[in-house]
Amino acid sequence: IKMAADSRFPDVDTDGSEKSEEMEIVVNVGGVRQVFYGDNLNQYPETRLAELVNCLSGGYDSIFSLCDDYDPGKREFYFDRDPDAFKCIIDVYYFGEIHMKKGICPICFKNEMEFWKVDLKFLDDCCKAHLSEKKEELEEIARRVQLILDDLGVDASESRWKRCQKCIWKFLEKPESSCPARVIAVLSFLFILISSVVMCVGTIPDLQVVDAEGNRMEHPILDSIETACIGWFTMEYVLRLISSPNKLHFALSFMNIVDVLAILPFYVSLTLTHLGAKLMELSNVQQAVQALRIMRIARIFKLARHSSGLQTLTYALKRSFKELGLLLMYLAVGIFVFSALGYTMEQSHPETLFKSIPQSFWWAIITMTTVGYGDIYPKTTLGKLNAAISFLCGVIAIALPIHPIINNFVRYYNKQRVLETAAKHELELMELNSAEGRATGSRSELEDLSREGKDGPFYSSRIKVSHSDTFIHLLSEEKHYRTRLQSCK
Amino acid sequence: GPAMPLGMNKHGSRSTTSLPPDPTEIVRSKACSRRVKLNVGGLAHEVLWRTLDRLPRTRLGKLRDCNTHDSLMEICDDYNLEENEYFFDRHPGAFTSILNFYRTGKLHMMEEMCALSFSQELDYWGVDEIYLESCCQARYHQKKEQMNEELKREAETLREREGEEFDNTCCAEKRKKLWDLLEKPNSSVAAKILAIISIMFIVLSTIALSLNTLPELQGVDEFGQTTDNPQLAHVEAVCIAWFTMEYLLRFLSSPKKWKFFKGPLNAIDLLAILPYYVTIFLTESNKSVLQFQNVRRVVQIFRIMRILRILKLARHSTGLQSLGFTLRRSYNELGLLILFLAMGIMIFSSLVFFAEKDEDDTKFKSIPASFWWATITMTTVGYGDIYPKTLLGKIVGGLCCIAGVLVIALPIPIIVNNFSEFYKEQKRQEKAIKRREALERAKRNGSIVSMNMKDAFARSIELMDIVVEKNGESIAKKDKVQDNHLSPSKWKWTKRTLSETSSSKSFETKEQGSPEKARSSSSPQHLNVQQLEDMYNKMAKTQSQPNLNTKESSQSGKQKEELEMETLPGPMVPLLATRTDGIIDMRSMSSIDSFISCAAEFPDAGRFSHSPLTALPCKGGINVIQEQSRPEGSTARYVEMNPSSESSHRSAFFIESPKSSIKASNPLKLRSLKVNFMEEDTSTLVPASNVLRTYPDPLKSRGAAATATDTSLLSDRSLMSPETSIYTTASARTPTKSPEPQAAIAFNFHDAGIHKYIDADTDDEGQLMYDSSPPGNVSPKYNVANSGYLKQKDHVYRTEKNHLEAAALPTSPKLIGQNCIYSMEGITGRTQGNQETVRLENHISPEVHVLPGSGGHANTHDQSI
Repeated sequence: IKMAADSRFPDVDTDGSEKSEEMEIVVNVGGVRQVFYGDNLNQYPETRLAELVNCLSGGYDSIFSLCDDYDPGKREFYFDRDPDAFKCIIDVYYFGEIHMKKGICPICFKNEMEFWKVDLKFLDDCCKAHLSEKKEELEEIARRVQLILDDLGVDASESRWKRCQKCIWKFLEKPESSCPARVIAVLSFLFILISSVVMCVGTIPDLQVVDAEGNRMEHPILDSIETACIGWFTMEYVLRLISSPNKLHFALSFMNIVDVLAILPFYVSLTLTHLGAKLMELSNVQQAVQALRIMRIARIFKLARHSSGLQTLTYALKRSFKELGLLLMYLAVGIFVFSALGYTMEQSHPETLFKSIPQSFWWAIITMTTVGYGDIYPKTTLGKLNAAISFLCGVIAIALPIHPIINNFVRYYNKQRVLETAAKHELELMELNSAEGRATGSRSELEDLSREGKDGPFYSSRIKVSHSDTFIHLLSEEKHYRTRLQSCK
Repeated sequence: GPAMPLGMNKHGSRSTTSLPPDPTEIVRSKACSRRVKLNVGGLAHEVLWRTLDRLPRTRLGKLRDCNTHDSLMEICDDYNLEENEYFFDRHPGAFTSILNFYRTGKLHMMEEMCALSFSQELDYWGVDEIYLESCCQARYHQKKEQMNEELKREAETLREREGEEFDNTCCAEKRKKLWDLLEKPNSSVAAKILAIISIMFIVLSTIALSLNTLPELQGVDEFGQTTDNPQLAHVEAVCIAWFTMEYLLRFLSSPKKWKFFKGPLNAIDLLAILPYYVTIFLTESNKSVLQFQNVRRVVQIFRIMRILRILKLARHSTGLQSLGFTLRRSYNELGLLILFLAMGIMIFSSLVFFAEKDEDDTKFKSIPASFWWATITMTTVGYGDIYPKTLLGKIVGGLCCIAGVLVIALPIPIIVNNFSEFYKEQKRQEKAIKRREALERAKRNGSIVSMNMKDAFARSIELMDIVVEKNGESIAKKDKVQDNHLSPSKWKWTKRTLSETSSSKSFETKEQGSPEKARSSSSPQHLNVQQLEDMYNKMAKTQSQPNLNTKESSQSGKQKEELEMETLPGPMVPLLATRTDGIIDMRSMSSIDSFISCAAEFPDAGRFSHSPLTALPCKGGINVIQEQSRPEGSTARYVEMNPSSESSHRSAFFIESPKSSIKASNPLKLRSLKVNFMEEDTSTLVPASNVLRTYPDPLKSRGAAATATDTSLLSDRSLMSPETSIYTTASARTPTKSPEPQAAIAFNFHDAGIHKYIDADTDDEGQLMYDSSPPGNVSPKYNVANSGYLKQKDHVYRTEKNHLEAAALPTSPKLIGQNCIYSMEGITGRTQGNQETVRLENHISPEVHVLPGSGGHANTHDQSI
């Protein structure tokens, strides 16, 4: 093959012999030949090509440790790698920066760069964004895979207590793991709904009863339902806490804090009514109990555990904190400006509804969010003009920052499914790799022995179980094997 | 690489003149280098042998273990031992990624690569798509799913279009007209006017309904209750009469009553009419007790249901339909929206309740009472009937406004996305229908030149799969089918995407006209008789050049199916044989056979006045045709092979061969033959792809197969049309070049190829069906399928036929006359095949002919189109 040697250096043949002191290296990467000069390569001594230059004197062993094949006649080094990526990577020797060829998967390109021992920092910023995006995605997938693997990982060697713990954990936390677990999840969902309804219905005056001192009390039936619900929640929480592998992590996670907040008010009010009377006055106790009742709202948030859509919402809101702040800031500025304006403009009217600037805040909010209750409204012409402007500004102030939030939400929402399938696929891939690695492992060893003489000692170094790019390094080999067995069953 | 063509030529020339390289030579060449050069579609790669060994079950992995010429040619398309280079005629872009998989163990995908094409490449190289890395896998599956969905929808619309069959009952013609008039406003001016009138009636009745509630226009009855205005009641009655008539006519003319009844639009129609009649019934039957409150209430409810008629407008507006579809598709997101709102309402109403409850004269009396406030605030309606008064309540109210805006805004874009996607899809479909119509038109004119046959095939595979799925196969079967076509998870390259191979192979043949390829496809298999195969083998040995076609024959041992596919270009052989070797090679079976069938088309023998032999072997030829044509009638997959056919085949060969040699000696005819053979190739190819692809299915699920093929046949047809048209144009050109007899030959070869193909095809697969359908007795299932299939393609036939006749007319009016006679014969000669007779009457085709004394059942059809 007379592949185009190197179009950048047309004077290779003429000058090569004259500058004999300058090292000239012919590299063949997957069928594409390139000619390099030693000093050019030595700009980056840590790279593989530069090492190649330096080890030329070290004999065949060192050469073969770096490249796949060497033709002493042509003085040509052969590398069994992707030529396309190589063409991009050698740019670093000429321009000091690398641009990814369009179409190459960034992860694949990153691996090629690692092979050539070119630092990732040489990758130009324009291409880095792409890479980091993909990396994030992979991390997310890896996290999911890790979670799934954790679920699967039941070890026979563990004590009975541990196994039991795991069992309960699976039962309560993974509704999709088994049929009873699903039933439990549905039950729990129903309990949340019932307790929320009870909380609402309990405030209807017709359904309340008046006790001996003339205080309004909740209906006894509702009260008992409430107690039952709280009992369920408490049991659920305690079981979760006991079975959780990491107690501290469990106690601090958002969903579990919500759980505690949903349970606590009940017990606090219980203790207060029984013990508090001795410590403080009765009215204070009652006030405290009343205040605690508000905290019952927290149980509504418990629904988030059962809805992936709500989780996405919280995730999106968490991710778009900045935009939310922006939204609030725009609104706050608008409220200040327009309430002040409205207040001053309405001063002329004798029966003005704008009594002070803080009072007109309310008006500004209601106007800017286009709710418009009509409890406060401007009466003068100027005030009406101001109201119209504030309404327009409100629409814009809300619409602008909300767009990125929506974008975030939609992206996460759509990604959820993709990631789900990707995680499943990743698991399959891991299983495949491990199975194949084990199957071919013994065979390849035999082949190693038989071909040792022909191919040289470096042969075995390359053949090994190859993991996917998402492979989690945390996973030890035996655990990996174990999960595979599990899924085989 | 630039060096490649040179090497290829060298090799190619050698292969035609000398023996293939010795296995030892191959082994030596492989041993002398640790590396190998792979040329894929012109792009040269160099790779270590041991890299390829990492995946020993794949195509490249097998390359190393192949030490004979035949096995090598099975794997690659060409090779050059001196250069240690192997050539693969595949897409070079995808190969880079695949080769990297060998090198790094990680399969990534080029980003701009089409997922479908990449999956085909993966199939070819024998790499399972499961190895695709997660970063690329998401994109890959997304694209593939999208594609599948599109194809599914396309198949569905196709099926819908086909579904309107008016075959079984009386006055089908009139019913079809009525159906078109009522259901397709675009079909004619009258239909359009009818649609407009219908819309006006809907609007009128809605206006009347609203006016009816105006107090000034209402009357008072004897019980002191308001009644309808008498004029408006008349209007109402007229409108209802129109709606009822419309509905009944639609129902009567609809081809499928149950499907019609189930349709959502028709259900709306029914709901718009029913309340009126129910009201009349209730008021008439309960005249005396009308004063009772509950009867009146029921009547009122039905009156309200009249408003449903506004939904009738959906029939006339695609926008409304797509809105409905969007809502149906995004019920998940709608649920999310409602959940968000419900949670917000719950939280804020309880907050505001606790904030406001101590206020005097508060309207927030309980949490349920403040739900109303929270709803009105979150949706930013703000009536102002309830509003917070305390500072705490106002703060909660402010938060509630902002949260409401956020919560409503979030899920809506997803719904909007769904809507726009659906809308786009609908537009695309409209375009696709137009394109299809244009294609059909162009086919009629014979003016399309397009060569992307492979794409069409790939698409039809997918369509096929989907149709099969649709036909209610079990999941397991579906998986299997998909396995065959979409993701052959194991290395089964002999069975791999049969149609694809065939298409690419025949494609090559036609494009390059390379002798090797054509020879390789000289097919012994289509006779499927052991003796004949043996004979062929003998002949093949006597041939001076055991060249590339041995590849094919070696495959035949392994895989029948593939071989059958390879028979398609078979008719090429006589031409090429005569060109290279003359009469000796003409003895190859397929060539003889084709000539036999050619002769059989002319039992008169008047045509071949220059060859006196034709008169003599004529009878034998007829027999052969008879035997071949019988299975051919079994597109509905029942086959009957008479054992006697073997002998008749055999005798026919020996009698016929001299004649064919005579013909071959005429150079002028050869030229015309060439053109005609080409045409024949494609025409056979079309049914071939249809029939063959369905074969894996009947074996798995016979029930579904019959229906599945119907649709696939049709879909294939539309997709295939450009290719066929090329060749029909070719044939159209023929008469100008060649004298009259040649034009006739064109037509006869046309048929011959099909007979042969079908013959070859049914031999293996058909026999598997024997147990299910006894010979000569068409099971009702297949019967129906067959008739449906035939009917569906009436129009296609017609257009094609027109074309063929047009080609024949200027040159040989005699021929047409003759054909007519044949078809007459067919009608008279067949008494049992009533179904076929019906078809014949529908369109008397020049190709249909049946010879008396054949046993009667199963007749020749024109499969050629």
